[in-house]
Amino acid sequence: MIIAGVDIGNSTTEVALAKVNGDEIRFLASGISNTTGIKGTPQNVEGVRHALEDAVRKANLTIKDIDLLRINEATPVISDIAMEAITETIITESTMIGHNPTTPGGVGLGIGITIPIFELEKCKHGEEVIVVIPKNVDYEDAAKIINNAFSKGVEVKGAIAQKDDGVLIATRLQRRIPIVDEVKQIEKVPIGMLACVEVAEPGYTIKTLSNPYGIASVFNLTAEETKNIVPVARALIGNRSAVVIRTPKGEVQERKIPAGTLIIKGNNRTFTVDIEEGAEAIMSAVESTWPLVDAKGTPGTNVGGLIARIKETMADVTGQDSSNIQIQDVLAVDTLVRQKVKGGIAEEFSSENAVALAAMVKSSKLPMEKVAQKIEQEIGIAVEIAGIEANMAIIGALTTPGTELPLAILDLGGGSTDAALMTKNGEVKSVHMAGAGEMVNMLIKTELGIEDKYLVEDIKKYPVCRVESLFSIRLEDGTVRFFKEPLDPRTFARVCLLREDGLLPLPPELNMEKVINVRRNAKRKVFVTNALRALSKVAPAGNIRLIDFVVMVGGSALDFEIPEMISDTLAGYGIVAGRGNIRNVEGPRNAVATGLVLSRCKRK
Amino acid sequence: MVKTESLVEQIVKEVLKKLENVEIAAPATQSSDDANQEWEMIIEEIGEAKQGVNVDEVVIGVSPGFYIKFKKNIIGIPLGNILREIISGITEQGLKARIVRVKHTADVGFIAHTAAKLSGSGIGIGIQSRGTVAIHQKDLQPLNNLELFPQCPVLTLETYRAIGRNVALYAKGESPAPVPVQNDQMARPKYQAIAAVMHNFETKYVQTGAKPVELKVSFARKGGNKSDR
Repeated sequence: MIIAGVDIGNSTTEVALAKVNGDEIRFLASGISNTTGIKGTPQNVEGVRHALEDAVRKANLTIKDIDLLRINEATPVISDIAMEAITETIITESTMIGHNPTTPGGVGLGIGITIPIFELEKCKHGEEVIVVIPKNVDYEDAAKIINNAFSKGVEVKGAIAQKDDGVLIATRLQRRIPIVDEVKQIEKVPIGMLACVEVAEPGYTIKTLSNPYGIASVFNLTAEETKNIVPVARALIGNRSAVVIRTPKGEVQERKIPAGTLIIKGNNRTFTVDIEEGAEAIMSAVESTWPLVDAKGTPGTNVGGLIARIKETMADVTGQDSSNIQIQDVLAVDTLVRQKVKGGIAEEFSSENAVALAAMVKSSKLPMEKVAQKIEQEIGIAVEIAGIEANMAIIGALTTPGTELPLAILDLGGGSTDAALMTKNGEVKSVHMAGAGEMVNMLIKTELGIEDKYLVEDIKKYPVCRVESLFSIRLEDGTVRFFKEPLDPRTFARVCLLREDGLLPLPPELNMEKVINVRRNAKRKVFVTNALRALSKVAPAGNIRLIDFVVMVGGSALDFEIPEMISDTLAGYGIVAGRGNIRNVEGPRNAVATGLVLSRCKRK
Repeated sequence: MVKTESLVEQIVKEVLKKLENVEIAAPATQSSDDANQEWEMIIEEIGEAKQGVNVDEVVIGVSPGFYIKFKKNIIGIPLGNILREIISGITEQGLKARIVRVKHTADVGFIAHTAAKLSGSGIGIGIQSRGTVAIHQKDLQPLNNLELFPQCPVLTLETYRAIGRNVALYAKGESPAPVPVQNDQMARPKYQAIAAVMHNFETKYVQTGAKPVELKVSFARKGGNKSDR
């Protein structure tokens, strides 16, 4: 008889097709399709049909040839993600220009009173000034006026220009002064105030204005005032040029946005964590209350909304009341969001702290019987609901050459990271952790500031390279690859994704190091953290070192670097970990579907 | 039905007649601050253009009739101001601009490609009298390019500065965002006849087989002092 094992996952539905003759099993083909609807709902039937069609086509059969379908008792796991910025920088009075024009002029530190360039000729000998140059003044005229002032003995200490003229002016001056240019809203620069302009050598960053005590020495600040200036200094760290102007009322605030609190309930105790305390505080609360009974967020805040939304979705799916749905796990990750500084003069951005949250729900059971009935009706094949997903996954994973019991698996999916451990006598312990591929996408999206979700998915999936000439690219590892035919001019001098079907140029503001960094960190923060969390919960006596073999399965195990990251970390615990190779052909995919077929024969 | 061909011919004749008397009548669309100070150029030919070896240079190729027949672009921006903005954009990035006159073609793509091939950085820029600009790289096909600005009537001096900046960034091996330009559907019907006429004049200066020549350009304010670039 012909049996199909069908695994309805969060994002893909997989099929393993086999011919069974007594104890003899011969696998014919596998199929894959996107899951339609939420896992465990009758909408899944379409996806099942597509996956089956895919499999039978490869095996030269028709759907009617299949005698039996075995579907998994799906672990009803739904996860959702949200993010909340927890700090915000507001400049109530214009006190700083901290932007990074690519080409500021001159080098050095200049302190003086701000003055429009038109009034420079009225200045007296020895007066120390910072010149403000609006865009209607040509750079040659500006240079001439400043040079005239020099010869009159006026101490021009620095300049602030509106147009991108810094270098053009600097090369025409008799003395070297720092010039910050491209200050778009120059009309907001207060006149007649003490200001400090700093430009660092190319390749260096500013030293004085990014240091609170540096600013304090420039402006003779008191200890109290120095405390207030800290956000300014912090916002200027890493810049090549900056201006700080002291205005009487000037004030920069770093405000904390109320992000809500998370109430984490365990069996014995309950923790309340402010989201703004950051991911570490949340995670330590989660770990110390484990296993979770429920989690709640303050109503009316982002956290409250997130938790409520997950519960409602779950209630819809299971037909239960949403008050009965309980959160089983939470993963919090610290991240950064680029946000425009409110009240800035030169369109400064500052990286604000944020917390990304993934939460997961597990209900008593999903209405799998309904799905099974619907499949029987619509496709016309007998359906059996087989064992627990984790058990099936381990049975499937055991077909990987070189594995034996006791064996642990890590299922790296889109919505959750799962782990299961099967002991020598076949006992299985499994656990589900919130946060997986989709959370990585969210981190990449916010940290790089990309809206296009397909592009985000591609950034996660493909390595980057830089097109150095029309015939060569430099890869992530620093090596160069040459081409015989010239590349598409649209990719010239761009950072591109190395897709199978060619190069895909990224938006120009993304540089290679940043993309690599963000991508790797996102994967590490989610998958490595979750792998350790999950394994330590299934490990004998909670000791991760007592696990010998770990096989990674699931869609995210196909990633080009996640399995290596996890292997690398687990090697430190003396664990052999690697990507699965189901039935020696499938790679990390199809473990559950294969397990479903094998488990039937074992039972006999 | 109107015979379009004879109509176009008629219009071109009209325009030509007007051109005899006045230098292209410029519709007053340019209102930049720099427009009221016109820069004139003194252009000297200083021998055959050589292949550059410095990687910090960008070559600007000007068309055969540039600043010979026309002193202003299609909408009346002085060519001196345009060239000065492009050069400023390049030098602001710390690179050098070298200017050559391409004589064997009046096509902006080929002018830019010729400039790119002469350039030590492999990046060149081509400009025609009417203001059309292309940024090129030496390894590309002549009719391919890095950036093309075909709608010369919508280009402002700020755009020309940004073009100069981008050219320099390409030469430095950076990845600039393409220069944003406006789009004006009316530019075509409004300026097509003038563009055709200007291009006709331009092609009259084409000398088949002539090598590109190196130019020495100095700028001076109209009625003001001379200043070297």
